[in-house]
Amino acid sequence: MTATLAGINDFVIKLFFGQKADSLVGSGLGGSDAVFLFIWWVSVFFFVLLMGIMGYCMVKYRRREGVPAEPSPSHNTPLEIAWSVIPSLLLAVMFFWGFNGYMKAQMAPSYAEQIDLIGQKWAWSMTYSTGIGASEFTTLGGNNNVPIFVVPAETPVRLRMNSADVIHAFWVPDFRTKLDVMPNRYTPYVFTANALDRSGADDRVQTTTDKKGNEYAYRDHIVYCAEYCGDSHSEMVAVLRVVEPSYYQTWLNTPPYGVTTEPVEVGALVWQAKCAVCHTVDGGVSTGPTWKDAWGYSREFTNADSLTQEMIDRDPMEWDNYIRESIILPGAKVRAGFTNAMPSFDGQLSDVEMRGVIAYMRSLSDRDPGTPIPGYPELEAEAAELEAAEEGGE
Amino acid sequence: MTTVDRNLDQLGDHGHHDEGSYLNPKYGPIATVWDWMTTVDHKKIGVMYLFAVLFMFFLGGVAALGLRIELLEPTRIDETGNLTGAALSFLAEGETVSQAAVGQAYNRVMTMHGAIMVFMFIVPGIPASLGNFFLPLMLGAKDVAFPRLNLASWYIYVFGSLFGVFSILMGGVDTGWTFYTPYSTTTTGQPQVIAMVLAAFILGFSSIFTGLNFIVTTHKLRAPGMGWFDMPLFIWAVYSTSIIQVLATPVIGVTLLLLIFERVLQIGIFDPGLGGDPVLFQHFFWFYSHPVVYVMILPAMGIISDVLAVHCRKRIFGYRAIAFSSLAIAAISFLVWGHHMFTSQGELAAMVFSFLTFFVAIPTAVKVFNWIASLYKGSITFTTPMLYVFAFLFLFSIGGLTGLPLGTLSTDLHLHDSYFVVAHFHYVMFGGTVIAFLAGIHHWWPKMFGRMYSEKGGALGCALVFIGFNMTFFTQFFLGTQGMPRRYASYVDEFTLLHQISTYGSLILALGFVVHLVVFLHSLFLGEKAPQNPWGGLTLEWETETPPIEHNFHHEPVLTHGPYDFDEVVPPGWDPKDYPLPEPTPGGHKH
Repeated sequence: MTATLAGINDFVIKLFFGQKADSLVGSGLGGSDAVFLFIWWVSVFFFVLLMGIMGYCMVKYRRREGVPAEPSPSHNTPLEIAWSVIPSLLLAVMFFWGFNGYMKAQMAPSYAEQIDLIGQKWAWSMTYSTGIGASEFTTLGGNNNVPIFVVPAETPVRLRMNSADVIHAFWVPDFRTKLDVMPNRYTPYVFTANALDRSGADDRVQTTTDKKGNEYAYRDHIVYCAEYCGDSHSEMVAVLRVVEPSYYQTWLNTPPYGVTTEPVEVGALVWQAKCAVCHTVDGGVSTGPTWKDAWGYSREFTNADSLTQEMIDRDPMEWDNYIRESIILPGAKVRAGFTNAMPSFDGQLSDVEMRGVIAYMRSLSDRDPGTPIPGYPELEAEAAELEAAEEGGE
Repeated sequence: MTTVDRNLDQLGDHGHHDEGSYLNPKYGPIATVWDWMTTVDHKKIGVMYLFAVLFMFFLGGVAALGLRIELLEPTRIDETGNLTGAALSFLAEGETVSQAAVGQAYNRVMTMHGAIMVFMFIVPGIPASLGNFFLPLMLGAKDVAFPRLNLASWYIYVFGSLFGVFSILMGGVDTGWTFYTPYSTTTTGQPQVIAMVLAAFILGFSSIFTGLNFIVTTHKLRAPGMGWFDMPLFIWAVYSTSIIQVLATPVIGVTLLLLIFERVLQIGIFDPGLGGDPVLFQHFFWFYSHPVVYVMILPAMGIISDVLAVHCRKRIFGYRAIAFSSLAIAAISFLVWGHHMFTSQGELAAMVFSFLTFFVAIPTAVKVFNWIASLYKGSITFTTPMLYVFAFLFLFSIGGLTGLPLGTLSTDLHLHDSYFVVAHFHYVMFGGTVIAFLAGIHHWWPKMFGRMYSEKGGALGCALVFIGFNMTFFTQFFLGTQGMPRRYASYVDEFTLLHQISTYGSLILALGFVVHLVVFLHSLFLGEKAPQNPWGGLTLEWETETPPIEHNFHHEPVLTHGPYDFDEVVPPGWDPKDYPLPEPTPGGHKH
């Protein structure tokens, strides 16, 4: 009997959620799945009762020619007290049980692993205690640059969340909890991921090899932005990769950007983590201009003087400065044909990353400034003069 | 048996024969239009409101279908860099569009749907149309207390609606109907949020005018003999609604002023960049919008009480409990706004608001128990209004019960801002309010327009609406629990099947409304002439002619029986042979 009930309960949870909760907040007697089941059975009881009575009356008391409605009392104090008090008691149980579970999702022990999380239109980024961030990406839905955040299993984790622009919300459905990410303060997302079931019963537990050649087991969970934040709100997703605590320690000490220090590769990783949702690198259309064949070309702006070919050819660093300015103060030069949609990334990129982005954009362009291009005879002449002057100087 | 003839209109009695139906044109076509546009007759204003809100319902409905069609398939970029998915139907063909552009189009249509449905359809909906038409009639009054204010409220409503629709279309507002800061104040074209809140405030003013009118009318213009507990429950509901409207609407005005102050004077109120608190805006917004949720549902509950009683010839069970629960809901509705913000506020506030939210569940549950109990030993018909009552009881029960895991803190952390919430409030707002509105329109249609509608057509429409609605929204409960966030233009592949069922359901739902439209048009032009009292109702609107004369009653009516004395009184216009009364029980009847 108990086994049957547990089986039915498992079925209900599977029907609604796909599988059981994968975190402490959702699992166990105090978890939200248990409260959900309680509410479910109370609801089913009352719904079946009410609809049963309604259906019975529809058949039994349907109107018949010449048959009057039977008199019946229109008031019954004991009945009315009963149907006010009994539901009230059930609601009180829901309230206390739910409040208890809620507090578990708000508080973490002081030794919890703290990771910084930034939400920004329209990507998540994490910074770990060792200063590193996500170094691997995957495809999810329509987004091909979804960051993978590695977190330890069976360890209390507190994300210190902050938004760089509008309100977002961090939601891991498998963990059964979410919290808003605010622009004006830190909010905590607290979870303890359940252990990896390596018996083979859980087909979501997989094994793979990292860039350094370490093999590790993991279980992935989807992260959504749950507070509406604009055009690419539905692409603001991430993957939370739960790993064994021992591997997590190894992973924490991976060098930033995997094993690379090559500026172009660093730039490509930064692009995946922060820029890919708005800027393509293959010439495709998106919210912002594409980075393909961009660097080194002249630019028209809606609110500033143009960046002319002459200026660029005189000093290619004009373009580097244009990139730098656009990252820190995106509204200063808005390219013609685009809106001022980009949030500021001031303070979010290190010098290494900034130089990486510039190097990456330069690598994507077919322009090689410094070599005068046809159609600018005066520049060619000027270049020749300079060359002559240099030679003369020697 | 009590005499009912006393209030029956007897033509030729006092030289009133020239006073015809309020619908009879007295002048030529142009003068008739002018007559309608300048009328202070609550019936004409009610009809004008009915057409205006139904037009808004149509606009919001078209937007909703657009959303559902967009969601038929997830948006993807294929190998050639082109977008795939039904989303493309939104945008110009052949043009290369980005995923973000699809998102933007979706977000604008989503905002249109929400803002139109909430501010222009469901808030004014029942009170302004059916309430305007029937509140004075049910009270036995000639008109509302301030007829000119009533006309002004209609014009303000039309102006506010035009203003709102244009500011969405012109400004490309994509904030959703909730306009949360700082998103709404920092996206491009910042003045739109001020324009939209201004539109909400203008529309709120029209609600204040209507509400004030109804409160005074209910207090001062009840027919002789009608005490507070002789009023039909629809009046109790509309009266409670009016109190909320008058008290809550100023808050949206305060919010508007603060937004303007912040923008003009650059003082930080909501904008974190200026040192303000974005969550404060949510407090202001929901302090207005949560009571307004009950503005949407209370009149619907009133309709259900009255329609159910008439169509099963039964005194409504627990009349006083229902009347007082309306007032209780109105009062508690001001104390639960924080439950929209469980994921953005502190633990203490969350605890208090969760607790208070469960309080509002009790009077609502009591109402449902009372309605079901009223069916017991009744004489139940299956007319279209009554079919809609059954649909209401079914759908509203689901809507109410699915509110429980949202009011419970730990489960809400998962369900908040997911499709579960979308499904829940559509079960309450559509399954509750719109379904009750349809029950009311069918119930009072003969009285309003003097024609019967086709029962077969009405039943077919009801069946399609019921099936389509459940297909559309029941699936969304599962989408929500499985992790589909709301306001997403695209989604992961796993959700495709449920989204498709939902979209096909929405098409069936739309078909149901087309059937209703055809039935109503058929009735207006070819319908059988309606008798004075087709259902055997005992409230005062059934004691006057169909359609009512311009001044409602030939004589001032005097109340001789309660609104639900079905087992004691043969209704006006009925033959006792066709309306058998039960044997009087010894010792009199129980109330």
